Amino acid sequence: MDKIDVRTAPVISNDQVAPDTFLLGVQGTFPAKPGQFYMLRAWDINPLLSRPMSIFDRTDKLLSFLYVKQGKGTHLLSRLLPGDKLVLFGPLGNGWNQQGNQIALVGGGSGIAPLFYTAKVFGKVDVYLGFHAKPFLLRTFKQVAKQLYVSSESGENGQKGLISNVFQPHGYDTCYACGPYAMLEALHHTCQNAGVPLFVSLEEKMACGIGACLGCMVRTTQGLRRVCRDGPVFLAKDIIWDD
Amino acid sequence: MIDLSVQIGNLTLRNPVIAASGTFGFGQEYSQLYDTSRLGAICTKGLTLHPQQGNPGPRLWETPCGLLNSIGLQNPGVTSFVKEDLPKMKEMGLVVIANVWGNTVKEYGQVAGKLSNTSIDAVEINISCPNIPDQPITGKQTARTAKVVREARKACKKPLWVKLSPTSEGSSLQLARAIQAEGANAVCVANTFRAIAIDITKRKPVFRNIFAGLSGPAIKPITLGIVYELSLALEIPVIGVGGITNWQDAVEFIMAGAYAVQIGTANFIDPFCGIKVIKGLTTFMKNQSIESWEDIRGCAHQ
Repeated sequence: MDKIDVRTAPVISNDQVAPDTFLLGVQGTFPAKPGQFYMLRAWDINPLLSRPMSIFDRTDKLLSFLYVKQGKGTHLLSRLLPGDKLVLFGPLGNGWNQQGNQIALVGGGSGIAPLFYTAKVFGKVDVYLGFHAKPFLLRTFKQVAKQLYVSSESGENGQKGLISNVFQPHGYDTCYACGPYAMLEALHHTCQNAGVPLFVSLEEKMACGIGACLGCMVRTTQGLRRVCRDGPVFLAKDIIWDD
Repeated sequence: MIDLSVQIGNLTLRNPVIAASGTFGFGQEYSQLYDTSRLGAICTKGLTLHPQQGNPGPRLWETPCGLLNSIGLQNPGVTSFVKEDLPKMKEMGLVVIANVWGNTVKEYGQVAGKLSNTSIDAVEINISCPNIPDQPITGKQTARTAKVVREARKACKKPLWVKLSPTSEGSSLQLARAIQAEGANAVCVANTFRAIAIDITKRKPVFRNIFAGLSGPAIKPITLGIVYELSLALEIPVIGVGGITNWQDAVEFIMAGAYAVQIGTANFIDPFCGIKVIKGLTTFMKNQSIESWEDIRGCAHQ
């Protein structure tokens, strides 16, 4: 496992890619595998906690994060300018492990964030993206997807409706998903009926990020598990969904 | 060589910086980041007689410069701790303070008793967790607290620290004196504040237990005040805990009379906080030509 560390890195870009949605890039070589995350902060003690963000992209020279401006922390992140400092703690979590040849990645809302780097590293995977409003970053995703499927409420640039309804698991060896709880639960049922293994990346409020504080627990068939440390990626059939 | 060591009863710590219970697990996670044996000691996650699942979520909520938690003492139970976790902690050279919770007065004695013949260095009796439903905070009632300390003292020969609630019915001083009279070796001041948050979209409390525990820099001046008052009146050492985020905070607590400090929520602000506080204290002692903490402990008392 790569050494977990706290580093300060300069921001190189922080571009708005959709309403209230930003792509934040920092300079440096960071060790991280697909599906892992960093705890980010660019403030002193208010807000108190760092913000867990999954990796959108990584190269030898940069690391980037896709985030939605929602609360105080992401509001402060959205105001960062090139040259400003960002504090990063990580890489954290287990990340995705590649299994099988025919792979589908499914993301909804801000859950599309970890799929770009995953598709890039895995290679030749189908990507399904669900948007609430107007789809974005489609050209970016096209560069790494074997086939890109898009859905939104309006149907613009793709199909109309929820991505969990558009997606059909038949023909895939393994599926990976990140997004709202209801989407993940729906995909779990679809994949279970089709007999296709599904890995889901969960989101929770986190304090320590490394498994010490027990603030981000999820109920599984093997008991309580820490989303930050034992996850964020879990086999969907191990999660107790009707919680 | 700067001497940061501190004597708490019969126990000598290499420095006065302790990881606070509930924020540091059993030390394994933070040991991936740095050598945690550099800390003065580590207080374990609260231990109970039987394994506990803790509270259903949500368990965390941020407030300005503060954090509400409702973890609810999730732990593997004292027997599993002694068998699985304690050996790993001792192998790493840690000074281990076992934090103990009882669902009844008797249970406090039972849990402490199971630790009496182990390699732990001290017991920290938790009479002040605000996150157990239908359970009064023992530390608010002097008579029940005295009984708890008596039970633990009888059952366990290890040094006994008692972690107070920051809010007591009646006088904190009266309570602390009762704890001292029962043979406790130190008091830790204090646990989280019992507090709530309300979700205005759902029109109900954020936490399922309604109440949770507030910690972080927001509470520091209040716990500092209690440390100031209690350290004047008690003969046993007072250990300060509540919102300490940097070495300057630690010095404030020592000047208010504390023998040592515990770092809790600040580990979430910066996972290296404990180590940074030790470094800061070392430089401070050197620059101020302080030979021993006795030179400045309680110096703020007028």
